[in-house]
Amino acid sequence: MPRARTALIMLAALAAAFGTAALVAQPPLEGAPAPRQAVAAVAAGQAAPLAVAHPGAWSPRNASYSIDVRLDHASRTLSGRAILTWRNVASVPTSELRFHLYYNAWRNSESTWMREARLRGSSAQAPRPGDWGWMDVSQVRLLTGATEPVDLTGRTRFIAPDDGNPSDRTVLMVPLPAPVAPGDTINVEVAWTSKVPRTFSRTGTIGSYYFLAQWFPKLGVLEDSGWNCHQFHAGTEFYADYGVYDVRMIVPSGWVVGASGQERGRSENADGTTTHAYHADDVHDFAWTTSPDYVERRAAFEHPNLPKVEMRLLLQPEHDTQAERHFEATRTALRYYGEWYGAYPYGYLTIIDPAWQSRSGGMEYPTLFTAGSRWLAPAGVTQPEGVTVHEAGHQFWYGIVGNNEFEHAWMDEGFNTFSTARAIEANPAYRTNYYAQRYFGGFIPWVFRDIVRTREADGNGLAGYRGSAESDVPSTPTYMYYPATGGGLSYSKTALWLHTLERYLGWPMLQRIMSTYFDRWKFRHPQPQDFFTVANEVSGRDLGWYFDQVHRSSNVFDYGVSLVKSEPVAASGFVERDGKIQPAEGATGTPRFRTTVVVRRHGEAVFPTEVLVVFRDGEQVREAWNGRDRWKAFIYEREAQAAYAEVDPSRVLLLDINRVNNSYSTTPKRDEAARKWMLKWLVWLQDALMGAGFFI
Amino acid sequence: MSTIVTAFRDGVLRVLRAPAVWIGVFLLTIAITVPPGLVLESSIAESLGNSLAADRSSDGVDMEWWTFYGESAQGVGTTFTPSVIGFAAFLDNLSRLMDGGFVPEPVMGTALLYLVVWVFLVGGILDRYARNRVLRAQAFFSACGTYVIRFVRLGILAVIGYGFLFWLLHGWLIDDLWGWATRNWTVERNAVILRLGLYAVFGVLLLAWNLVLDYAKIRAVVEDRRSMLGALFAGTRFVARHPGRTVGLYALNGAAFVFVVVLYAALAPGAAGSGMIAWLGFAVGLAFLAVRLFAKLLFYASQTALFQASLAHAEYTAAPVPVWPDSPAAEAIANAAGQEVV
Repeated sequence: MPRARTALIMLAALAAAFGTAALVAQPPLEGAPAPRQAVAAVAAGQAAPLAVAHPGAWSPRNASYSIDVRLDHASRTLSGRAILTWRNVASVPTSELRFHLYYNAWRNSESTWMREARLRGSSAQAPRPGDWGWMDVSQVRLLTGATEPVDLTGRTRFIAPDDGNPSDRTVLMVPLPAPVAPGDTINVEVAWTSKVPRTFSRTGTIGSYYFLAQWFPKLGVLEDSGWNCHQFHAGTEFYADYGVYDVRMIVPSGWVVGASGQERGRSENADGTTTHAYHADDVHDFAWTTSPDYVERRAAFEHPNLPKVEMRLLLQPEHDTQAERHFEATRTALRYYGEWYGAYPYGYLTIIDPAWQSRSGGMEYPTLFTAGSRWLAPAGVTQPEGVTVHEAGHQFWYGIVGNNEFEHAWMDEGFNTFSTARAIEANPAYRTNYYAQRYFGGFIPWVFRDIVRTREADGNGLAGYRGSAESDVPSTPTYMYYPATGGGLSYSKTALWLHTLERYLGWPMLQRIMSTYFDRWKFRHPQPQDFFTVANEVSGRDLGWYFDQVHRSSNVFDYGVSLVKSEPVAASGFVERDGKIQPAEGATGTPRFRTTVVVRRHGEAVFPTEVLVVFRDGEQVREAWNGRDRWKAFIYEREAQAAYAEVDPSRVLLLDINRVNNSYSTTPKRDEAARKWMLKWLVWLQDALMGAGFFI
Repeated sequence: MSTIVTAFRDGVLRVLRAPAVWIGVFLLTIAITVPPGLVLESSIAESLGNSLAADRSSDGVDMEWWTFYGESAQGVGTTFTPSVIGFAAFLDNLSRLMDGGFVPEPVMGTALLYLVVWVFLVGGILDRYARNRVLRAQAFFSACGTYVIRFVRLGILAVIGYGFLFWLLHGWLIDDLWGWATRNWTVERNAVILRLGLYAVFGVLLLAWNLVLDYAKIRAVVEDRRSMLGALFAGTRFVARHPGRTVGLYALNGAAFVFVVVLYAALAPGAAGSGMIAWLGFAVGLAFLAVRLFAKLLFYASQTALFQASLAHAEYTAAPVPVWPDSPAAEAIANAAGQEVV
């Protein structure tokens, strides 16, 4: 036994030594032991811990799981047993572990998640009795390898580090018998049962469809400042360390399974179930789905300069004709993100087309994501393309660059919203991206071919940002944002300021910034300052003034033209003419006009911009304006009157919350436009009245 | 079948022979909508101001401005959505009706005014179609005045029926039954089919009640009935005794209406252009509405013709020479008997 313990310590030391350095190439992890075998092996001191650093691994692989889980469809429960192999990669020791038990967010109405959902006005506030879900940990054991496993179950307790809510059971603290020093590795066995809820937060079940995310007790992240293991909040997502996952899922035979990673084996059981064994390297989460109804399709992404990716699509039968739309959208993300930021390295990707009403669509997990379509999905409208590109794109921003979504959701959601809009714009197949509206209970679509969605406003989500622009400061931890404003701030504001930066610095420069950041922080956990540092370093500029405004402030940008006036130059009094003082009124010659343009800064935020003045003879004058003063006047004397003036004519500042006041025409078409739209509205109203007339 | 077609053809002729009714109601519809339209126009102009967004909105759609406008719109401005463009206007209104709505709240006052005007006019319209001859305005409005109070009373009965259909049955069918049935469904197509089926059930009951009310109104006018409860029962009896004819004619009228709608779906103007193009688009919209109004009047006229065709033959009826304002029934009998109408 002492020899075994010594070997374990040596292996742990090796793990610490190789853990963060070996990020070069990915070796497959073959033959990972099943948990029960692993328990026995580790207990007997015969095997190395699972998370010993692997030379050539992409990530630190410091939180690895070997899990056996059984789905009981009749009771909608999961019974699981996991062995966590965790290596302390922080610089501080810890004498406890903290686990996320996400399903307990839906244990009752008093969890922090439910309280916050009510505050946000979420429809999830009144679940029916059968809708609830929970997770009960029945056993926690420390596998020492030297002695019998140490049962820690009795020592565990729930904590609420964020709000002190005593009813919240989403964080389980497990005190350890001895501290885990930096670089040390421990193995912990956890057994649990879960009631799968009717879907909350895109995990759960409906009918015979299951989408299972955040379904196992998941370790938080130990940082130098201590455990980063937040309670589950209604407005945030997740954060975990990278590792290797070996998961064996037992489901009814005949049911299709899709999961993070790749299937490595399948075996039929005597009780009418099938065990599906999946394996995933260098990922920080594991999600899976099962249903008897999926239709499976396969295709490949191939590119001359990027690794081949095998795509597996699990499709709802009613969307059978939409397979290629899903594949093309996924290829769009893999191609453009790959060209712009860096390659998707895994070689496989699973696309899940979620069941109707499952509320599990539009979510990302490592090497697997859920898209979202409708039975009636007309061509020319980017559904399912928009959500598919976005969620596939999360493989880069979230999957590969693993920021803390609890605290800095903008680092993946915003980066990805920006990238999604850019990729959709780049793909010629999506040029006809029309606005559509659904009628008759929201089922029957009507495509408005007069309304083309734009990257600037629609792709970036300008209206969403405007609605919550001043509600919070983006540097506030995301889970503490003012209720229901995370979308506007994390997604839209970030996309808008990145797009602004693209136009301010030029795409080649921003692309270099983002690809450098991607390369430097892939398979790691960056903080906001890490991106800002890369931006300054690569651009060679101090962009602090910009990040202070867009990230550390809720000030808004709003520039406008408040006046354009052209008046004849008609001097009064006396002027010197032909060497004599004469009355000014007698002046002759070509009439000239004095044009006055007044631009204003309505918002508190400042951005250097341009002012364009166009005269009626076609002459254009561009003026630079640092944008600092509250207002500035430009005066010209020309033979022609001004036609219009526009501040920020090239639309660099996409964060400007009011584009309408950016221009001022001396011959505005407002009456013509207003009349046109009034006439259209009159037809709509008369039609409505005639509909009412049906009742007479 | 020939009775239905004859009544339909007769209805078309009756509507065409009374162009003043058609045009008058149409102009009235326009007149009622103009005041809120001017409010909206002013609101849009104010929002656009001197911005170049006005140029873009004039030439096509500036969705960015539209979204911005919508975020701060109040009153009728809140109803100014992309659904006003082309055929979407019809879809929007029909969809709202099928989903249990009436009209959006900001135009509720206008709609109620429109209904009040219809309640006033419908007696005169039916009287005109029933007499099927030229009437002076005095006679038309006198008939309107004669029946308006009766139709207010009938309207109360109608509202009770429509209230049952919309507030109880619709909620039960679409919200409760559909919601309950589909709660655990994972196939959208099946849910849509069920919903369309429930729309059909609701629609059939709605149309049935509307059919009965139509004949109640027709019998109230043609037979100069004072009791609206009696008229309602009489209308019901007539439909019950002639289900093939009444439903067949209603379906034929409905088919004519659907034809008009399909035609408009193909021709409805988009949002491009301004000035003359905008006016042209407006004219196309108005043409659709005018034909649609014709279709509505055709329901009245053809159903009146059908009812009158089923009256007892004049030769078997002893009656004095009718003198206006005797009832249309008296006139019809006189007409059939070749009597002179005084």
